[in-house]
Amino acid sequence: MKHLPKHLQPRWRYLAVSIETWPDAGIGRRAFQRELWYAGQNLLGDPGSADADLRLMRFEVAGGSGGAIVRVRRGEVDAARAAIACVDEVNGHPVGLRTAGVSGSVDACSESYLGDPAPSSTQREVAFDGADRPARRRDGAVDVDAQTGWVGATVHDTE
Amino acid sequence: MSDDASGDRGAGSAGSDADFGPYEAVYAHPEGDATVGRQVKTAAEYGFEGVLVRTGGAEYDPGTLADRYGVDVVRGVEIDAEDPQGASGAVGTHRSECTVVLVRGGTDALNRFAVEQDRVDVLARPFDGEGDVNHVLVKAAVDHDVRIEFDLGAVLRDDGGTRVRRLRKLRKLRELVDYFDAPYVVSATAASHLRLRAPRDLAAVGEQIGFGADAVREGLAEWGRLAARNRERLSESFISPGVQRGRDDE
Repeated sequence: MKHLPKHLQPRWRYLAVSIETWPDAGIGRRAFQRELWYAGQNLLGDPGSADADLRLMRFEVAGGSGGAIVRVRRGEVDAARAAIACVDEVNGHPVGLRTAGVSGSVDACSESYLGDPAPSSTQREVAFDGADRPARRRDGAVDVDAQTGWVGATVHDTE
Repeated sequence: MSDDASGDRGAGSAGSDADFGPYEAVYAHPEGDATVGRQVKTAAEYGFEGVLVRTGGAEYDPGTLADRYGVDVVRGVEIDAEDPQGASGAVGTHRSECTVVLVRGGTDALNRFAVEQDRVDVLARPFDGEGDVNHVLVKAAVDHDVRIEFDLGAVLRDDGGTRVRRLRKLRKLRELVDYFDAPYVVSATAASHLRLRAPRDLAAVGEQIGFGADAVREGLAEWGRLAARNRERLSESFISPGVQRGRDDE
């Protein structure tokens, strides 16, 4: 179909979303998009989520951290922000999400708010709760592979 | 503990009507999946101005963490008892050593106990399990100056019928709180740093569920106000509201 003349095209806003999860969590682009739409539909309803759009434009997660850019119809930014906050798990892995900023273009969005991808995590053994446990360290944060599952800590907790 | 009062940020403005920024009340290791340090680090990155730690058994030094991450850290305890008798004993034990005392509700008996105790600051998670609130409880909460918590956890993390039921209860509570002008707090009840959500995102959720963004901000700030008030009360010069020990110059 012939595309719309420029003044009739929808105006978009792009939301930068920073993502955090456990280091071994496999979170794919498809799964994240599915959860995003699912959260939108659950919170905003069918009409609301259709208005918000919530299309994933860029997505990158590696070693427990990353970012995404979500396209939103202008005027629906707050609704989209709420829907994104309600994404709790992807493929059963808990995710920490924060809408870091809003821009008018994908490039401006990723430049202003997502920056460089976090430095890759390093694997090491740390002392935690009186035992040596395998852990991954990234940017002052340490995820410890404790007996009961992952525990989020900081470098100061494991010294 | 004693170190709580010393290293606090924001304590300087305590006592005045200073506006408080958003605070969040979190669980920490061993009760949750993140240490207090990690919760505070993440909360600071998310734009919170303070963190209240609900886990009484967590090991940390509020002053050190406050200095390291530039946010206020408040020692609290959330009492999780089977029945009012158990809760009553625990409140007595923790009152003097924690800045903020919360009682986890969830049954009608516990909810009722919490709002009728002057020694309790917050009724936390009143809707867990079979718990509910009504006008009697909200009125009692006003009389005894107990804040009732709007737990957004279920809105953020549940779906389907569970979430609908929880939203219904939240709405009922909101209407009661509005009517009686009762004190309240808002929290995402995060058990790990991954469950935390930024203040602005919580406000957006509040707007969507009809709670209003301003009401959410107000409820987040209330934690800070509460902590400041209690610190003043725990300080040595405090005798009773409005009465302080002065300097005896002459």
